[in-house]
Amino acid sequence: MSLIVIMILGLAGTVTISRVLDSRRSRINAAYEEESLYLNGNTAKRLALGFNGMVADWYWMRSLQYVGKKVLDSKQGPMLDNLGNLNLKLLAPLLDTTTTLDPAFIEPYEYAAIILPGIDTEAAIRITSKGIAANPSSWKLYHQLGYIYWQGGDYATAAQTYSVGAKIPGAPEWMNAMQAKMSLEGGSRNTAEEIYSRMLEESTDPNVRAMATVRLKQLDSLNQRDLIRKVLVSFKARRNQCPDSWQEIAAVLQTLKFSLDKHGSPLDPEGVPYQLSNNGCDVELDPHSPIPRR
Amino acid sequence: MNQTTSLNKSISLNGSSAISRRPFGGRCAAIALNTFREAVRDRVLYNLVLFVLLLIAGAIFLGELSGGQESKIIVDLGLSTMLLFGVFISLFVGVGLVYKEIERRTVYAIFAKPVSRGEFLIGKYFGLCLTLLVNVAIMGAGISLALLYVHRGWDPLVITIWPAILLIYLELMIITAVALLFSSFSSPALSALLTFFVFIIGHFSADLKTLSISMNSAAARWLFAGLYYLLPNLNNYSYITPAAHGVVPATSNVLLALTYAGLYIVVIIAAGTLILSRRNFK
Repeated sequence: MSLIVIMILGLAGTVTISRVLDSRRSRINAAYEEESLYLNGNTAKRLALGFNGMVADWYWMRSLQYVGKKVLDSKQGPMLDNLGNLNLKLLAPLLDTTTTLDPAFIEPYEYAAIILPGIDTEAAIRITSKGIAANPSSWKLYHQLGYIYWQGGDYATAAQTYSVGAKIPGAPEWMNAMQAKMSLEGGSRNTAEEIYSRMLEESTDPNVRAMATVRLKQLDSLNQRDLIRKVLVSFKARRNQCPDSWQEIAAVLQTLKFSLDKHGSPLDPEGVPYQLSNNGCDVELDPHSPIPRR
Repeated sequence: MNQTTSLNKSISLNGSSAISRRPFGGRCAAIALNTFREAVRDRVLYNLVLFVLLLIAGAIFLGELSGGQESKIIVDLGLSTMLLFGVFISLFVGVGLVYKEIERRTVYAIFAKPVSRGEFLIGKYFGLCLTLLVNVAIMGAGISLALLYVHRGWDPLVITIWPAILLIYLELMIITAVALLFSSFSSPALSALLTFFVFIIGHFSADLKTLSISMNSAAARWLFAGLYYLLPNLNNYSYITPAAHGVVPATSNVLLALTYAGLYIVVIIAAGTLILSRRNFK
């Protein structure tokens, strides 16, 4: 019995001392946290002794934690394609090492294609092209590479990439359609909608799916605001003034299949009411709406 | 009760003449079964299995941090742990198999019976291989169950990981043979160290071959080429990473790896028998 008491007291003592030491420990210098990786992919592969997959998983989870920590510290929304201001300089080497250790691991390529263009487009193209070289039968990687070029506004190369990917056995029909869209209307909202819909459909990564969902809602909201603006212009043309409140155009909005709240305000795709601006002549998102501004 | 006492008891009960009438395989099997029984009685083995099963359970939670890659992480972690723990069992149990008998002088009692040194070594070897087989099978079943759990239903990986598990087992059989070889002439600590080196170098075989091609000196080229063929090429059994993507090795490759392992083990056990038969236990 006395031994059990000694064990409990001893354990309680060590927990208390640990907590005191933790509170006294100064935060690790940010420079150390951002220190370059000691091992490149090939060296890590040699040292993995056949445990490549497990080491690749570790690097993959480290990449996710690295981005996640930066996002949490910045208190920014989880928009994976817009993290350029977070100084994610270790992300490219981490993903490069992950894919060198396990070249058939597709998700890191997808992650590189979505996050890296905002940080280092060349690295995004390099890592995704490496994925294509290692997995020539994966049409999904062509979709990712096409997305990188589309993001950079290089619609011709994006169309070419989709065209090559569409020829791979098993590639879905929409890869051909995407090639045509890129060639004809690369910068259109319609193309963006198609890209994010396919991303939502194909990705297994919950973060990527969340990002695609938010982007689709943003596109939906942009279309809604365009429609509301048309209603406002038409109202002004008839009354020679802009509406004082949403109530005045609620009936028209309802016929256009908008969801309205009890005050007649149209709701954005997140269910937050839009606001009238510019003396009722324009519409804008509520400051509390989670729909991204850009 | 140690393995030899139990073996002696079984031999005494049957009598020396009964043992001598047993065929070669029967005598080896008796030693193998006793080696297996001793390993089963050894709580360290149970703890290892339990630990691996706990680790696999941990993988389920690790999977949640992996961005939807639970199945891949479970296969990678599970199979890597299976290999690592299998190597530890081969090392720490394998190196003591012969040494313990010599140290306790129980080897005299065994060799006083009509059991040859080769039969003794082969029996010991297959006893430990049986222990490893049970370990690997339990761990494999654990990984399969974990996959069913995270996938909330059927996952093709439940089946497709088994060829990789077979290759891991073959690698463990080679490592066990190497451990037994060292244990037939060296102390357990040195045997463990040397076996561990063989495990490491076995995974660097490709580099040995590259060195043998790229060296300027003919002697160095011969040395590295010799080492490449002399040491086991354990890369032949590294199939964990593709297995995590549902890739199954070609049957011809598995059969070749099986043949390679069989031949290599025969050579190692023959060398061990040769060394043991020349040892003077007086």
